[in-house]
Amino acid sequence: MTGPLGQRVRQLAATSAGASSAARDESAPAGSNPGASPLLEVSDLRVRFRSRGSVVNAVQGVSFTVEPGQTLAIIGESGSGKTVSAYAIMGLLPRTAHVSGSIRFRGVQLVGRSEKELQDHRGRNAAMVFQDPERSLNPTMRIGTQIAEAIRCHLPLDRKEANERAVELLRLVRLPTPERRFYEYPHQLSGGMRQRVVIAIALACEPRLLIADEATTALDVTTQAQIMDLLLDLQQELGTALMMISHDLALAASYAEEVIVMYAGRIVERAAAEDLFGNVRMPYTRALLNAIPRIELEPHVLLPVIGGRPPDLSTVVPGCSFAPRCPDAQQDCRQEIPPLEEQEIGHWWACWHPCEGGQGGQKEAAP
Amino acid sequence: MAVPVADALSPALPAGDIAEAGRFSRARGAMGTLEITIPAAVLLVLLFFCFVWPIVYPVPKPTGGSILNSGLPMWSPGHIFGTDTVGNDIMSRILYGGRVSFEVAVAVQVIGLVVGGLLGVIAGYSGGPVEAVLMRVLDVFIAFPSLVLVLAIVDSLGQSEINVIWALAAFSIPAFARVARAATLRLRDQPFVVAARLSSAKTWRILFGHIVPNMMPQLVTFSLLGAGVTIILEGALDFLGYGIPDPAPSWGKEIAVGQTMLSIRPSLVIVPSIFLFVTVVCLNLMGDGLRSRWGVR
Amino acid sequence: MTPNPVTEAGAAATHSGAALLEVRHLVQEFVLRDYGGVKGGVLQAVSDVSFELDAGETLGIVGETGSGKSTLARSVIQAPPPKRGSVIFQGKDLVGLGRRAMTSVRRDLQMVFQDPFRSLDPKWTVSRIVAEPLIAQGVGSRSERRERVNSLLDRVGLDPVGYGKRHPRELSGGQAQRVAIARALVLEPKLIICDEPVSSLDVLVQAQVLNLFEKLRSELSLSYLFIAHDLALVKQVSDRVAVMYLGKLCEVGPVRAIYRQPLHPYTLALLTSIPSPARSAGKRGTSSVISGELPSPLDPPSGCRFRTRCPRAQERCAAEAPELRSLGGEGHLVACHFPLSDGSRTSAEPAAVRR
Repeated sequence: MTGPLGQRVRQLAATSAGASSAARDESAPAGSNPGASPLLEVSDLRVRFRSRGSVVNAVQGVSFTVEPGQTLAIIGESGSGKTVSAYAIMGLLPRTAHVSGSIRFRGVQLVGRSEKELQDHRGRNAAMVFQDPERSLNPTMRIGTQIAEAIRCHLPLDRKEANERAVELLRLVRLPTPERRFYEYPHQLSGGMRQRVVIAIALACEPRLLIADEATTALDVTTQAQIMDLLLDLQQELGTALMMISHDLALAASYAEEVIVMYAGRIVERAAAEDLFGNVRMPYTRALLNAIPRIELEPHVLLPVIGGRPPDLSTVVPGCSFAPRCPDAQQDCRQEIPPLEEQEIGHWWACWHPCEGGQGGQKEAAP
Repeated sequence: MAVPVADALSPALPAGDIAEAGRFSRARGAMGTLEITIPAAVLLVLLFFCFVWPIVYPVPKPTGGSILNSGLPMWSPGHIFGTDTVGNDIMSRILYGGRVSFEVAVAVQVIGLVVGGLLGVIAGYSGGPVEAVLMRVLDVFIAFPSLVLVLAIVDSLGQSEINVIWALAAFSIPAFARVARAATLRLRDQPFVVAARLSSAKTWRILFGHIVPNMMPQLVTFSLLGAGVTIILEGALDFLGYGIPDPAPSWGKEIAVGQTMLSIRPSLVIVPSIFLFVTVVCLNLMGDGLRSRWGVR
Repeated sequence: MTPNPVTEAGAAATHSGAALLEVRHLVQEFVLRDYGGVKGGVLQAVSDVSFELDAGETLGIVGETGSGKSTLARSVIQAPPPKRGSVIFQGKDLVGLGRRAMTSVRRDLQMVFQDPFRSLDPKWTVSRIVAEPLIAQGVGSRSERRERVNSLLDRVGLDPVGYGKRHPRELSGGQAQRVAIARALVLEPKLIICDEPVSSLDVLVQAQVLNLFEKLRSELSLSYLFIAHDLALVKQVSDRVAVMYLGKLCEVGPVRAIYRQPLHPYTLALLTSIPSPARSAGKRGTSSVISGELPSPLDPPSGCRFRTRCPRAQERCAAEAPELRSLGGEGHLVACHFPLSDGSRTSAEPAAVRR
């Protein structure tokens, strides 16, 4: 809330939307007091899907919190449930999804809300940036119009004011010559620029939480760096919390304060970024770390890998979901699910036989 | 830089695209299959009655009825749907008329599929002048309003079931060719076709091993929907008097004849219309159902 | 373009003995058509690229969007053939080669594609897919083919009995890619072009498949042309690396040299843009050395194509396109007027964007 651009954006909002901003602020405790209460509290979230007769347990009891202004990364491979959890927080899951548990955004329960209430929540409280900027933007609409449309969804601004604000937002996301860009169509922009526009739309109504679902996966590595830097700077200026969903551990390590690792619908490890990578405990996290090709390694070195695949989420298996592939698995791992517990300060893991810590030894089951 | 494809969790979810919200809402289950099996069953029943039943059961002949028998109402003993003005049993005219409809529909679709499909595949795969010439020739046929074209052909060839089939095929071949060409263009640059070319597979192998099998779902659904259109067109031809010659029955003709007596005996029009309607609706439902089931565009 | 003696000498100096693959001044263009088929512009996806690959060697080609790396791969296998230049494989120029001759070349040159599910015919079974090249080339009897297919499936880690009759949709991404690899190997090729073969796979599976590539390389003495956008991954598998930008080669050299002493500013920018857990423990974010946007490939910058985003650009860079020349050690070539001369990673000055 301190940067000059952030202030300008707030000014525009305050003058024309005084009532609704105030109303929104009322329900929440003082935003400028971090640690007072969490922005987002997810508690035992479970999501099931019915698909052709079988039930898929996409998310099996996930609990975590996000503080105001925090940068959190959720890491997992495909099928880990990370995207489904994000969709649940945004209220984007379809009717066929069965959601249970609790998702509290500033104290307000989201599970079980009607679509209308969720529409109010989306964009205002939390906004999402998706992976493919091409599919997030309407190709037949000018980008300025798309942003203005998002603004007028939640804020009672007239067209002129909304357009002005749209230009401000384009400037905020560092799009050069924003007044001109306003009138351009998505196909006239590069991938990185389109993603900036998507971010502008997401920030249009000043959400407290921004969820970036693989937002940079489809971008070049150089553009990725630019976009991530932008997101961090915007966080600083606007005080938004950022939740990054990704499969890229290195990205999480570089940008996040705290990292959550998910596997087969559950959280298996959670820690501050330095802790997670310097002091890895969960064998799965270690396997992930080992499997990433690293610049520091010599060429032609075989990567330590574990075999197997993530489990079938439509069947319920006793014990730890990772046990079938875990090189350290023991008898009790296959019998009882280890709970996620804070075993060291700020470092949670769910494992009966965690690693000793450090950067992770090179343990390798048959590739 | 694509999203990592999942090592498939289960056959229930398509491998990889779990992140797409749209996929979740495709809750198929039993409902989707019913969409296909019920119309298919109805069609099978109709086919049975039109083709098999008259062989097995002594149905009265559709032609050559005695005038003494004429004008019997519905539900008369021995004549479920009654008889027409010249004494023919309506039910049997419907059944034999149905034969014509189905025969024409199947023949036209098969001709369209084979000839049109082949032309389209060749055009799409060759590209260049071959494609240009083929498509322009076919465009000429497509440019005509279908009914006008069909009428013209039947008029010049003379009325008979075979000629009706040829006339309708002139309409269906270009349609199939278009679909086949579009599908070929789409498939031609797929990596698996490129890979086949890289192994130096012969062209005909590529066409019939890779390209054609992968467009079959599309062609099958197209032919089901096309069959419905064909039946209606054939009915229209008969209605106008250009279809199969008298005294052979057909649904269109029954409707035409019955039309003159609409106020007195509406059943003469209603009964064949219902058969026509149900057949076409079932074909459409099947076509649509298969299309969504197979994910055909 | 007339061959430049400096370039040629530089290129020749890197190799002893006949190279397996020699690409010379390759140009690939696409004509863009506007509505109505009117010629809208010419996109030169690959501009005058030359390099060599020795037997048993892996050359990694790195680049981002628009670099032309995939187009380059397709041009080498002649699908479609390049507009200009030559591709000399085992002594024969593939460009313009007749169909029959090309058929025998294809035994030694194969390709693995990025998306395994699109490179396998969804209607075919695994065994049939792997056997296709054998059938197409008329190799072996039916039982011989079956044996060969089974032994290859085994080699890539798939049980032939269990997997032979499956269809691609019943496979996971990693398994499907293994099938694609088996198919590429069935004719016993010398060189395999790998076009981003692991980009669409999950992290753990990616490592498995990379290991498989390595294993096969040593077991079968293969050479790879390995195309990727991930620098770390490329380093993992390559002996030499070539960096591409907007259709041109920026830098080519032995892998260690490139990563330890990058000479081209773009290479440096790529390296510093990579997030890495080890590198930035405790430090948030990366200082991105590169700014601006990728220029349109339809209208690339004059002179050096990278100059609009290069922190070191000067006037000469706009006037004159730099040639690829040998610098800094054995086989290390760079195309830059002001290469990074010393080994240390210079911290970049703020980008001076000039057009």
